[in-house]
Amino acid sequence: MKTATQMSAGLRLVLLVAVSALVLLGAVAVATAIGEYNIPVRTVFLTVTNHLGLTSADVPKIEASVVWNLRLSRSLVAALCGAGLAICGAILQALLRNPLAEPFVLGVSAGASTGAVSVLVLGIGAGAVSLSFGAFVGAFAAFALVALLSNGATSGPNHTILAGVAASQLFNALTAYIVTTSASAQQARSVMFWLLGSFGGVRWPQFYLLAIVLVVSLAICVLMARALDAFTFGDEDAAALGIPVARTRLILFAVTALMTATIVSQVGAIGFVGLVVPHAARYVVGPVHMRLLPASALLGAVFMVIADIASRVLVSQQTIPIGVVTALVGVPFFAIILYRARPQA
Amino acid sequence: MSIVADHLSWGVRRKAIVKDVSLRVTDGETLGLIGPNGSGKSSLLRLLAGLKRPHRGRVTIHGKDIAAIQRRELAQSVAFVQQNAATETSVSVRDVVRLGRTPHRSALSGWRAADQAAVDGALARVGMTHLQHQSWLTLSGGERQRVHIARALAQSPTVLFLDEPTNHLDIHHQIEILQTVRQLNVTSIVALHDLNLAAMFCDRIIVLKDGALVASGTPETVLTEDLIANVFRVATAVSPSPHHGRPQIHFHAGI
Amino acid sequence: MNTTKTLGLLGCLIPALTAGPALAAPTSYPLEIENCGETVTFEKAPERAVALGQNSAEIMLLLGLEDRMAATAFWPNNVLPELEDANDRVKLLTVEFPTLEAVLQQNPDFVAAMLTTLMGPDSKVAKRGDFEDLGIPTYLAPSACSTTLDAGDAYGSRDQLWNMDLLYKEIDDLARIFDVQARGEAVIADFKAREAALREKFPEDDNLTFLFWFSSASAADDAYLGGGNGPSGFIADLLGGRNALDTKAEWPTLNWEGIMAADPKVIVATQVDRNRWDLDKAENKIAFLESDPTVSQMDAVQNGRIVVMSGAAMNPSIRTLYGAEEIAKQLEAIDRAQ
Repeated sequence: MKTATQMSAGLRLVLLVAVSALVLLGAVAVATAIGEYNIPVRTVFLTVTNHLGLTSADVPKIEASVVWNLRLSRSLVAALCGAGLAICGAILQALLRNPLAEPFVLGVSAGASTGAVSVLVLGIGAGAVSLSFGAFVGAFAAFALVALLSNGATSGPNHTILAGVAASQLFNALTAYIVTTSASAQQARSVMFWLLGSFGGVRWPQFYLLAIVLVVSLAICVLMARALDAFTFGDEDAAALGIPVARTRLILFAVTALMTATIVSQVGAIGFVGLVVPHAARYVVGPVHMRLLPASALLGAVFMVIADIASRVLVSQQTIPIGVVTALVGVPFFAIILYRARPQA
Repeated sequence: MSIVADHLSWGVRRKAIVKDVSLRVTDGETLGLIGPNGSGKSSLLRLLAGLKRPHRGRVTIHGKDIAAIQRRELAQSVAFVQQNAATETSVSVRDVVRLGRTPHRSALSGWRAADQAAVDGALARVGMTHLQHQSWLTLSGGERQRVHIARALAQSPTVLFLDEPTNHLDIHHQIEILQTVRQLNVTSIVALHDLNLAAMFCDRIIVLKDGALVASGTPETVLTEDLIANVFRVATAVSPSPHHGRPQIHFHAGI
Repeated sequence: MNTTKTLGLLGCLIPALTAGPALAAPTSYPLEIENCGETVTFEKAPERAVALGQNSAEIMLLLGLEDRMAATAFWPNNVLPELEDANDRVKLLTVEFPTLEAVLQQNPDFVAAMLTTLMGPDSKVAKRGDFEDLGIPTYLAPSACSTTLDAGDAYGSRDQLWNMDLLYKEIDDLARIFDVQARGEAVIADFKAREAALREKFPEDDNLTFLFWFSSASAADDAYLGGGNGPSGFIADLLGGRNALDTKAEWPTLNWEGIMAADPKVIVATQVDRNRWDLDKAENKIAFLESDPTVSQMDAVQNGRIVVMSGAAMNPSIRTLYGAEEIAKQLEAIDRAQ
């Protein structure tokens, strides 16, 4: 029998899930319907139903391709990335016991940039390897370094964060070195553009890859949600509660690194989502991870889809880098949360 | 015999912190662990609770070698209350106490009646039921400590370790907590700073100096002026208290 | 008789009608082109082409194809003055990277791109498949696909001096695609002749070193220079000299102390059209060179051997040759004056 607050927290989660799911559906629909190419809503609707096998109407080929191959895949990928980054942020904030932790604190994005640059500029992989694969390998190299320096992330939160800082600095320096000494102007510009974070390059293959990785990772994280709660008062406390601390930390860090590396290698580094969304979710459903993780995922998905729509339509003929939009929206939102949650004297 | 420790030794790098300590704790007794700072109290406590692995020696609880037991299984009967466990997350009191059920729940199991009973009972035991929905961050030091004890109690332990649970607390709370611990039907090992409180509330006392065990026994036998002078380097006069019959330690200012 | 006169007239006309480069054969469609590892098929000459990238666009304009171009995008520099009028007749999507939707909205029947960043497997704008799947043939500049396909190729390799060969291939390919072979050959022949003319006019001179100054964030900052085997090296070589900097990096940065130590014979102040830094403008570069108490002591500055060149020439494109000619004209004027 649950007490009033128990039900209230669970009820709040249900409400959040229901509302977020509806908003997400609506946002994806909007993302599929609007864009630079002026496509009538009827065409959009028929294209989708055609692909789902419900109708077989005649729709112009280019417009159908824009709706299905470009916009729909893009918005779904945005949803997945938003969910993934938000979950990673929530997990890292718990493991590192630091409210400022976010997915890129362990050097994963810096490693990804080095990997991408190595493929693009140094020609590593002799043309058989894509930028994304190089970025992924680089990201994992950074994670491996951090794991080594922090003894499997068991040397304490501050030490682990410092290891992440060291890895970030090292890989960023490597990237800069490669670009400065070996890159042509075109390549330097390509690298910058590629790293900036953008959904422009995604099509259905990226969706399938991300969907598999993220669904599996989310399942693992939900299974470990209870263990995550046990870390509230520190590692020793978690051990006293029966959690195999070293193993749990390593698995969670590895899963987080996997999610982040996959996302960064496909769409670049997109900031703020992983930092802000867990706080927003915590504000609504509380800190217990069985509720926080799903809530963060949904809020992150909604946030990213809406941000992507904004990045496409705010300025005509141009796409604002998604990282700029997430920051512009994220910062004021974050400020409001901080203000509301300030400790009363 | 609840707890048996045989020749425990442990150290960091080349420094020995716990030197060849052996002890026994009987079922249901409240054992006090005293000694000056740096005497190895905290480390010994953690060795006994299975939170650290000794370099030499072993610990058995209820006859089983704790090194051979899985962490989760151990946590179902052994609970540990830290000195100053803190968090910045705004967890509710209720959520903190619910954490105590972690060793009894698997990854996806639901919340059972037994869990609820343990949590309710624990909150009532420490008198925090009325504050259960409040954020942990808004509690006073004493209230926080009581919540930690409640969490340990929610684990339904048979053995309870407490690492200086009365530091920074009002005297009112100090006595209240120690009374609660004493009245519990579990074997308790409490590391304490205050010699008088140790005398008042412990069935037996163990004294550590520089990592070695120098005395073990009832408060009357252990808390002698000579021992106190030797271990704590302070002159005292010890006499039975007319109020509770236990030794009362009067400190001399200066030598 | 009238018939004889008519035959005679015809007899004179026929050679006139068939006059022109005897090599120019019309394209027979469907045309298959090997391009960057793909075989692209053209059913007919394109009529609504979209050019992604300045160089691709300028080549098409040089081939006189402005009426068959639907739109262009990505112009890091201003258009060649001689092509300005033609370019005005073509729609400009944006000088920055375009969006794929904007390109598709032009209803193109052919898309040519200058960089893999604009169209390629790792592009954030478009993949070749995006167009090919809709039946729109694509073309990627040969100079763009070298690094990804063949690690030893001309552009990816830093070991060989850049040259115009890949550009000539691009011009030739595009001429065939649009069925303007005659024009294509004329353009290539013209470029080759101009290249040869420069080489002839400027024999090898061991003392002739160039410093290619692209831009700097501020006078005190390190300068962004051109170096290595990139276009600036090609220009220097065309003019009989070499780069004053002995470095393999294509975009080295160097402080003014290092530049003075290199002691270039000629300083090339480029005019960059993007308006980001003060020193983008050539006139500001010259003002700095002449007014700074230390830098103005350089031999090149003291002797007025500063030349201006469009920044576009530092990108491997047809503008590189124009840039060399720009410098050549100014060098000749300096030599005459001295």
